[in-house]
Amino acid sequence: MKEEEIVIVGVGMHQFGRFGEKSYAEIGREAVKLALQDAGIGWKSIGAAYCSTMYLPATSGARIMRPLGATGIPICDVEAACASGGVAMKQAIQGLEAGEFDIALVLGVEKMPRGFMDPLMLYARWQVEMGMSTNPSYWAMRARRHMYEYGTTELHIAKVAEKSHRNSVNNPYSMYQKPFTVEEIMNSPLVCDPIRLLEICAPNEGAAAVIMCTKEKAKQLSLKPVTVAACTHTIALYSADFRVPADSMSAKIDPPGPTERTGEIAYGAAGVGPEDIDLFEVQDTDCFCEVEIYEELGLCPVGDAAKLIDDGQTEIDGKYPVNVSGGLVCKGEPVGASHLGQVVEVVWQLRNEAGKRQVRGAKVGLAHVLGAGGNCAVTILKA
Amino acid sequence: MTGRDEKRMVPIREKLLTEPLTPLEDVRLLGSECSECGEVNLGEVSSCQNCAGEDLAVIALSERGKLWTFTVIRNRPPGDFKGDVPLGEGLVELPEGIRVKSPLVTADNLKIGMDVNFTAYPLYRNMSGEEVIAFRFDPV
Repeated sequence: MKEEEIVIVGVGMHQFGRFGEKSYAEIGREAVKLALQDAGIGWKSIGAAYCSTMYLPATSGARIMRPLGATGIPICDVEAACASGGVAMKQAIQGLEAGEFDIALVLGVEKMPRGFMDPLMLYARWQVEMGMSTNPSYWAMRARRHMYEYGTTELHIAKVAEKSHRNSVNNPYSMYQKPFTVEEIMNSPLVCDPIRLLEICAPNEGAAAVIMCTKEKAKQLSLKPVTVAACTHTIALYSADFRVPADSMSAKIDPPGPTERTGEIAYGAAGVGPEDIDLFEVQDTDCFCEVEIYEELGLCPVGDAAKLIDDGQTEIDGKYPVNVSGGLVCKGEPVGASHLGQVVEVVWQLRNEAGKRQVRGAKVGLAHVLGAGGNCAVTILKA
Repeated sequence: MTGRDEKRMVPIREKLLTEPLTPLEDVRLLGSECSECGEVNLGEVSSCQNCAGEDLAVIALSERGKLWTFTVIRNRPPGDFKGDVPLGEGLVELPEGIRVKSPLVTADNLKIGMDVNFTAYPLYRNMSGEEVIAFRFDPV
């Protein structure tokens, strides 16, 4: 049981998108400066910094932050695929709890290449040669099976996409801010059957940063805190998730998936259940992922996600608002920045600063990411 | 016999396919059955992916399986892909209790539950002039 409560006292975000010649260092630094401004403190006050990134070169965090002042504090990069941001936050939290430093900054930043990610980073050569190296294909196979077992349809996936695209119109930090009709989505080209182009996110660029300290320190400095009630990371059990690099699954056992497991641990640490969460920002690298996450985070029983969608329960005014930001499908996925971006959104929501995206009376929010290797992170924040 | 010389054939990945590679019709996938937990790992492995056990028996997996799920890949996969699109891809359940991810010979008329047969075949000829043997599953 931890002694200290850890709080977030400053947040900043650089829009997600594609920024041509703008360097990852400039993009990252912008988010850092915005977070410092938001907290009302200077770079000198930061005691340690963590940089969440998957594709940037070695020591990127330190090099991005060096122009702010070489104060000699420990700065390191953290990578755990799509869960990088959660793991970076966790390192900072553990350091704060141990009293290693007073105030920590966590930056998530990425500048991604266009199109599919370089396959040899994640897949073996034989898989690439045989064509088993596309990320969307495993989401698509999962979708097909879910449709077979529970009667979920392509229309349900399209409805999730329509909701997210509609939500993104109110998010200036999103790459795409354009609504689409269900018809337009259903008519967009198939990428990996049954998943379509307007249902998949694009790898892109962006940054988000948070500043954290203990609750006591925040009081001392008269900073407005948002409590980190849980920050959890797990890796999928055997045969629990067949994202890369899995080449086979068991037909004998069916262990709980990483979202279910990580969610359970996070709910336990925060002392809440799904019914207590006012908004969810979840991993919708494609819109079917979001469908399954409803079930795995306990918003509904397994197999019932379609009904939740049909009843509009994951809309901004529904029982379980999901991805009011537009989700990754609209924001894009700068991997290292993903989770931090979700956390920043949740902080704004809990401070009642989310403008047209505001979930009324939001007091508790959950951020979730899940990616390669079954790396899963869940963070729960309380106002 | 097709006249293929076994010395000029190599598996696309070591410890994945039974040897010899001729005749191709007799080649199967390798599995490693764990004596501690009973799980069947794909290929010849030294450590059980489920329980970390190190007492594993190498077996040849069955030819016949059932399509557990599938997709059709419409855009050319990235990197040094040796085939064509559209590409059927599936998770095939074999009687040994394992589901193997595999390309399918066709992208048409695929159905969950259909019977499929394992097929080893030469995917391409490498820089040394050897035929590289890969695998796929074909609807029966």
